[in-house]
Amino acid sequence: MLQIVSRPGEKNTLGEQNDAPGADESVTDAALAHLDGKDLLVELLDRVRQLLKADTATVLLLDPSSQQLAVTADRGIHTGVRQGIRIPVGKGFAGRVAAEKRPVIIERIDYTNVLYPIIQEHDICSLLGVPLLSTGMVIEALHVGTLVPRRFTEEDVRLLQIVADRVGFAIQSRRAEVERAAAAVLQRSQLAAGLPVVPGLELAARYVSVENRGVSGDWYDVFALPSGWLRSALRAYALLGGDPAEVLDRLDQHVQHFDPETMATVCLAMFEPSLERLQVSPASHPPPTLALPNEPAALLDVPIDHPVGVPGGPRRRATTITIPPGGLLCFYTDGLVKRRGSSLDGGLARLCELVVAGPVDSVCAEVMAQFLGDDPADDDVAMLVVRHQNSGEIGPLDLVVPTLPWSLRDIRLAMRRWLSAVGAAPRSNADLLIAVGEACANAVEANAVEHAYGPPGGTVPVHLELRLPDVLATVGDTGRWCPPRGGPRTGNAVHA
Amino acid sequence: MTARVESRTASESIRIALSGGIDLASAATVEDAIRSAMSQQPSAVSVDLTDPTYMDSAGIRILFSLASRLKVRRIMLKSIMPPDSPTRRLIELSGFESLAALRPG
Repeated sequence: MLQIVSRPGEKNTLGEQNDAPGADESVTDAALAHLDGKDLLVELLDRVRQLLKADTATVLLLDPSSQQLAVTADRGIHTGVRQGIRIPVGKGFAGRVAAEKRPVIIERIDYTNVLYPIIQEHDICSLLGVPLLSTGMVIEALHVGTLVPRRFTEEDVRLLQIVADRVGFAIQSRRAEVERAAAAVLQRSQLAAGLPVVPGLELAARYVSVENRGVSGDWYDVFALPSGWLRSALRAYALLGGDPAEVLDRLDQHVQHFDPETMATVCLAMFEPSLERLQVSPASHPPPTLALPNEPAALLDVPIDHPVGVPGGPRRRATTITIPPGGLLCFYTDGLVKRRGSSLDGGLARLCELVVAGPVDSVCAEVMAQFLGDDPADDDVAMLVVRHQNSGEIGPLDLVVPTLPWSLRDIRLAMRRWLSAVGAAPRSNADLLIAVGEACANAVEANAVEHAYGPPGGTVPVHLELRLPDVLATVGDTGRWCPPRGGPRTGNAVHA
Repeated sequence: MTARVESRTASESIRIALSGGIDLASAATVEDAIRSAMSQQPSAVSVDLTDPTYMDSAGIRILFSLASRLKVRRIMLKSIMPPDSPTRRLIELSGFESLAALRPG
């Protein structure tokens, strides 16, 4: 929840130095109390336009995730909302107000620095803008503009700031309404869902919310693990290393322990870094189809083990398959080839006819079209096609890695993979790995020096390109952590 | 199409013959029948897969579940499956052989 605390260098006392009697009251009076949300915004903007004799009045709200100000309401010339205009913080007039966190007055606009097209189109001449801060952060900018040159006074600034506060409250209350409604829906959905039945557990729950507030941050939830977690568990176990059979054995233990009712079929394949070979371990899953250039496709002849989640199975097996450049593997779930009333062998044979060592997208499209056509699938179907590219098809390697010590290993790994894929001679690879590694280490070190006591940040781009018979490698440190301000350590791109 | 389970007890060994379509719809019936057959505490169990015309993942699950429970009791499930059995390929691709001994007859 937002909490509006203060605005910079400005008092909020009503009725002081008031040269326009009733001006403050006009934007704070009780007559506005019955208005809510958008109506209140519009009414406030109209009143401030009247008071300040301005031609336009615009409210922009900050979207913190994108650091952009979105036009939320505008009066006078009101097309900004419809066009969904957004101004980055620091850019344009509203962006400057938000970035400087203080009122900004411009008597004569220099159109080179205006992003809001409406200001430009309508020849707006003078502008006054104020920010609204909440706990030190900008949440909103409000500005008024005139078509004739105008010198805004301190009193104008004060008045506009009061309106900005009112707008802030209006927006807050609108947000609170939305949040209250959302919280109510959430609570209803949670309570309606009830408690799961878990043999061996007795469950009871109560929920009471404070009546007048309607919203509470408290909640409870009890749930059985959904089967979707299998996927993330598999990824986690794969990170620990080992061949696919070992990874599946770990997953198997996990499932048997945490979700004994589950039985799942999986086909796990892991490529060697060279991409020349991969190891496959199917757990009660049909094996992938392998298609080599100019050869008919065939099912991989690999042993198939028991499903994941079945206790008492023997040790799983992983089989190494060679997949030369141009070769293609097609993984699929049984829903693709299994049809009631037709033989599985027939489906598999048809799949082998359709799978060729061609572009992966066309293989997918062809197989899906032939097997599913226009009929709705009667079972889930998942299919994955992977093709080992020929060295000639491989484009440059472009990496952008964080300037952190452990990035060096990732860079070396990616380079080895790429060099091997383009068919570079192993002996020259070693030199290139060292040269690029050193350049990246410099960038990492420079970053560590610059940010010894500050926040970490920055990236280093690495680019490898084949220029036969050479490989051109470029390492740059153009990250934001090192602004181009000259000096010996910045911009040290290295060409190897 | 409904599933059918026939169990024949000979001394301490039982033979479970499945037929029809073993799918999600018939799975509960098949499981109940297998459970009651197993309550006789046999020392040898075989499952005859000559006749089933269709089997989906629910059917496969029943087979693995049976084999797994027998394994805990140190009994190797024997599975009878002639080469022309309609579900032979499916059973092969399920990796059932890792838990059961497949026999042609």
